[in-house]
Amino acid sequence: MGEVVVARILFLAIAALGLLAALGTVLSRNLVHAALHLVGFFFCVACLFVMLEAEFLAAVQVLIYIGAVAILLMFGIMLTRNTRGDDATSLSGPWRLPGLVAGLCLFGALVFGINNAVSPSGASPWAGEAARPSLVEREGEPAWAAERRRAVEDMGRVVGEEFLTRYAMAFELAGLLLTAALVGAVALAHRDEVGAAELPPTVEALPADSAEPVGTAAS
Amino acid sequence: MTLWVLIGIVIKILMIVGITQGTVAYLILVERKIAAYAQDRIGPNRCGAQFGLPAALLQPLADGAKMLLKEDVVPKYVTKPLYILAPWIAIVTAMIGFAVVPFGPVGPNQLIDFQIAPNVDMGLLYVLAVGSLAVYGVILAGWASNNKYAFIGGLRSSAQLISYELPLGMSILGMLLLAGSLDMNQVIAWQSQNAWGVLVQPLGFILFFTSAFAETNRLPFDLPESEQELVGGFHTEYSAMKFGMFFLGEYLHIITVSFITVILFWGGWHLPFLGLTPESSGLIDTLLKVGIITGKVFLAILFIMWIRWTLPRFRYDQLMDLAWKSMIPLALINLVATAGIVQLVRTYWN
Repeated sequence: MGEVVVARILFLAIAALGLLAALGTVLSRNLVHAALHLVGFFFCVACLFVMLEAEFLAAVQVLIYIGAVAILLMFGIMLTRNTRGDDATSLSGPWRLPGLVAGLCLFGALVFGINNAVSPSGASPWAGEAARPSLVEREGEPAWAAERRRAVEDMGRVVGEEFLTRYAMAFELAGLLLTAALVGAVALAHRDEVGAAELPPTVEALPADSAEPVGTAAS
Repeated sequence: MTLWVLIGIVIKILMIVGITQGTVAYLILVERKIAAYAQDRIGPNRCGAQFGLPAALLQPLADGAKMLLKEDVVPKYVTKPLYILAPWIAIVTAMIGFAVVPFGPVGPNQLIDFQIAPNVDMGLLYVLAVGSLAVYGVILAGWASNNKYAFIGGLRSSAQLISYELPLGMSILGMLLLAGSLDMNQVIAWQSQNAWGVLVQPLGFILFFTSAFAETNRLPFDLPESEQELVGGFHTEYSAMKFGMFFLGEYLHIITVSFITVILFWGGWHLPFLGLTPESSGLIDTLLKVGIITGKVFLAILFIMWIRWTLPRFRYDQLMDLAWKSMIPLALINLVATAGIVQLVRTYWN
């Protein structure tokens, strides 16, 4: 029983930290600080994956979200004119209400979807009571135990197999979406030679006091 | 029972932390000696001569004392919490990668498991994930310093590290396909039964080793700190032990990368004609395995230091061209070719 209590306390602590980090992301006035809070939130999610014994997912979460996505975010912030990230970042007035409505709708959809999750017919029930299967085979164990034991012990292989069988469609669609986003980003960033010549040179276009690190003032 | 396991793990952690930190101190001495040799100088040769020790064996002590006793300046204009956090991130991310690195034989019938967390089935993924965190130390140091040189260094390094993470990850996929596991012990076992990774995956090895140089900010790729252009880059504003922690983190990264190279491509504890198998577990065999793996790691580190005095630094556009236009396509070709060959062999051979 002691292990359950410890697990519950750990879960509550991690979830509370995650909520604090999420609030910090939304409420920070400084963009770089907001991005760092987001990193903290991603890390809490990875911790929750570890608690669910999904170490593979935890490693992937750290590798992709913290190691690539958040770094690109910070990179993007630092390459803009607002280098220090300390311009005010609050949502402007007329967009507040639509933003609130959209957020609440997403929340409702997620709550509904998570509470009513169904497994495809024929597959083992992944939702519901999560019980760790015993590591050795026992007589009279339920049918899902063998499959779940395999999943815990060799998660990389199982995740890969699921991607190529049950979730092949979703996997390909996500890939298509990412490719479209990539092409769109290139199209936005790419300007042909004539257009580039007409643009004002960006360095001179900066206001004198914005985005200047302190080092210049000293020199 | 579990208490003893726990105590054993704590002892292993303390030993590995102590040994690696001590090794780093002496690696710095080795690096200075190699630098001196490459430049036809003598290098450090005084510290320790008073006590009759040859070759400046006490130099690391003097270096450490210098780092600890210097004044620790925190400039007024920095973002203080992040400025203090950054060196800790650098050193912690370099340290926790060792949790899954096997230092010798690991297995159910061995004397000791030479690994803090034995038989993690996604060991390599963990190392990559932890390695991808190291960029935060650099980018936060650059940003929090509020200094142009540091900032440019931080930006350069984040772009460089993100770019080279891709070939780094993709180049080991071929080896993992062959071995069929992310567990480093299984990769070593596969190599001891078949052939060393460098023989079956030569392209993968070259790509991995090159991107490893970029990931550790070693000389052909040391644009984040390039002294001549950026006055030291991201650590310009750091002094005393905070600077020392960046230094320590960098050398710890070199040790980790060397271990991964040896484990993935140089056969781990395997040497031909010695007859060591994954199961052999006598005292002599165990000592041999540990000795071979550390010897190979030392060779890899020496090679990395030798490269530093052989190649000049890249220009920034060359660096990006190398990653995106040649290394990533080559890594993809390597991966697809390996997958095809593995599939053909498994279909028609057995």
